[in-house]
Amino acid sequence: MSVRPATLTAALERTIVGQRGVLDALLLALLCNGHVLLEGPPGLAKTLACRALAAALDGEFKRIQFTPDLLPSDIVGTRVFDQRESAFATVLGPIFANVVLADEINRAPAKVQSALLESMQERQVTIGPQTHPLPDPFVVMATMNPLDSEGTYALPVAQMDRFLMKVNVGYPSRAEELEILERFAMNERRPLHGVATLADVRAWREEARAVHVDEKLKRYIVDLVASTREAGGVRVPAGNGEAVSVASLIDYGASPRATLALAYLARARALLEDRDFALPDDVRAVAPHALRHRIGFNYRLTTQGVAADAAIDALIASVPAP
Amino acid sequence: MARFLTVALTLAALSCAAAGIGRAQTLQRLTVTTFVLGADTSRPQIEVPFHLVVTLNVRERISAVENLELPILAELELLGDERRLEARPSGTQYRETITVVAHHTGSISIAPATLQAIDARDGRAKQYFTNPLTLQVVGGSLEPLQAGESFAGAALDLARRALLWGLGIACVAAVLILALRRRAPPVPPPAVVAVAPARPVVARTLRDELGDALSVLRADPTRATAVTVRAAVWRTVGGSEGETLADVLHRPAAADPRVRDVLRALERAAFTYDADLAAAVPAACAALERYLA
Repeated sequence: MSVRPATLTAALERTIVGQRGVLDALLLALLCNGHVLLEGPPGLAKTLACRALAAALDGEFKRIQFTPDLLPSDIVGTRVFDQRESAFATVLGPIFANVVLADEINRAPAKVQSALLESMQERQVTIGPQTHPLPDPFVVMATMNPLDSEGTYALPVAQMDRFLMKVNVGYPSRAEELEILERFAMNERRPLHGVATLADVRAWREEARAVHVDEKLKRYIVDLVASTREAGGVRVPAGNGEAVSVASLIDYGASPRATLALAYLARARALLEDRDFALPDDVRAVAPHALRHRIGFNYRLTTQGVAADAAIDALIASVPAP
Repeated sequence: MARFLTVALTLAALSCAAAGIGRAQTLQRLTVTTFVLGADTSRPQIEVPFHLVVTLNVRERISAVENLELPILAELELLGDERRLEARPSGTQYRETITVVAHHTGSISIAPATLQAIDARDGRAKQYFTNPLTLQVVGGSLEPLQAGESFAGAALDLARRALLWGLGIACVAAVLILALRRRAPPVPPPAVVAVAPARPVVARTLRDELGDALSVLRADPTRATAVTVRAAVWRTVGGSEGETLADVLHRPAAADPRVRDVLRALERAAFTYDADLAAAVPAACAALERYLA
């Protein structure tokens, strides 16, 4: 009997207190062969979650701290001249790992971000004349800090679209924080090891691909994505208490890549719940994460005092589930 | 085709029954005087069409009757449905004649038809129920003889019926003659006629609705039926159009673990892949049975 994804979830929950959203995002990305963008303040167990996931899978974990002086070769690797051999040797960069944490991705300039995102998309890196495939599974968890925007380079929309999902990470509750204190400051940490294997992950991915998505659900997914482009009639409360049209806050809606992402994520969520068919609940649960970074809001969002997530929630609520 | 019609009517009835709940703002304002369900025979013969008649009398002049829900006819085949609305001095009479045929002998219980309306007398939204019907479907005309009943017995029965008809006609004629001979009384001043209101019966329970859902799903174990039954059960527990299972499970009416099982099983039947449907629908029926047990 092979290990089920739920076993991995349970094991990670024993290590990470709260942050169920981060854990779910990591596992969904793993099952969908995608990558995650996390936005939240520092100190919310993002690194710990990535490290725990890699350890639980007996995989390799690497963390890259993005800074303004980072170079593409610092990520993907480079060729160095070996004087003894009188030849160039390739030194692979930290991107060659199963779980990569790209910390504060928006602190590096565009060409570094681009190098990372190209690797994420192609799942291979070309250094000099040689192309090196990245390990499988390969998940990048990139973080952005919303509090400190000085000296940052905003990710272009086309590059944001390459992330399967964007998760907003919030502070834990008081009870969770108390448990964090209990578990990490008062007791010794019990590291996770070998809960599942990388081969298990590859098998789960195959299972996720086979999860059934009913026609009604497909239409629901398409309607959800279309609602981001034709949001006429949907209204959301503004900062002054009046309702404003969501359409007036949006410059452009989600791309068809969002449609695919929703279907992949819904299937993966169904598998995490040990089902071989997806439900409307799966789509609705993952929709905010799949749409959040794919909708282009304009300046009115800020001037009207509307939270982006509130507008997205209003859009999702406006589409009746089948 | 016959099966399709049977199921179509039952589904329509179940769907209407569920949809009717919670739309008091669209109810008609009516003074219901009579609301009855009848049949042209209490002992229909197998494979011989007969009629079920729903009659509604109201004091108002209306052009349509809304929120009238027909009974579920899972054991009969629908052959036709005729509706007639007739203006009368005392108001309006709505008469719906449903032509059906039975394919099996035995007892058939037909649930009451329902009407949701605002009672014009007190301004409250009410649900009116007709009487239920129990019919005994018997074999064909030759069946009694084939079953061993003697010819003499059949003849005796026929003679008894003829005698009863004769007596009845004689009584009616006597009453008419007496009435004609009496002097017509002076015309009384117009008075308000006290009409007893139709009895508003207690609303159908979740148990009734789930019982109907089980009958329908058993009669037609397809995905389309599962989807319709799912929608009806959702509305019964307070869920509204466009919600997801998670929303419905938060409703107070879904707190019962057996109801939650039913909701989950119906969700599976509605969304699972075709090969699993053969297991999903019986699982939904089993969940419904567990609730009804």
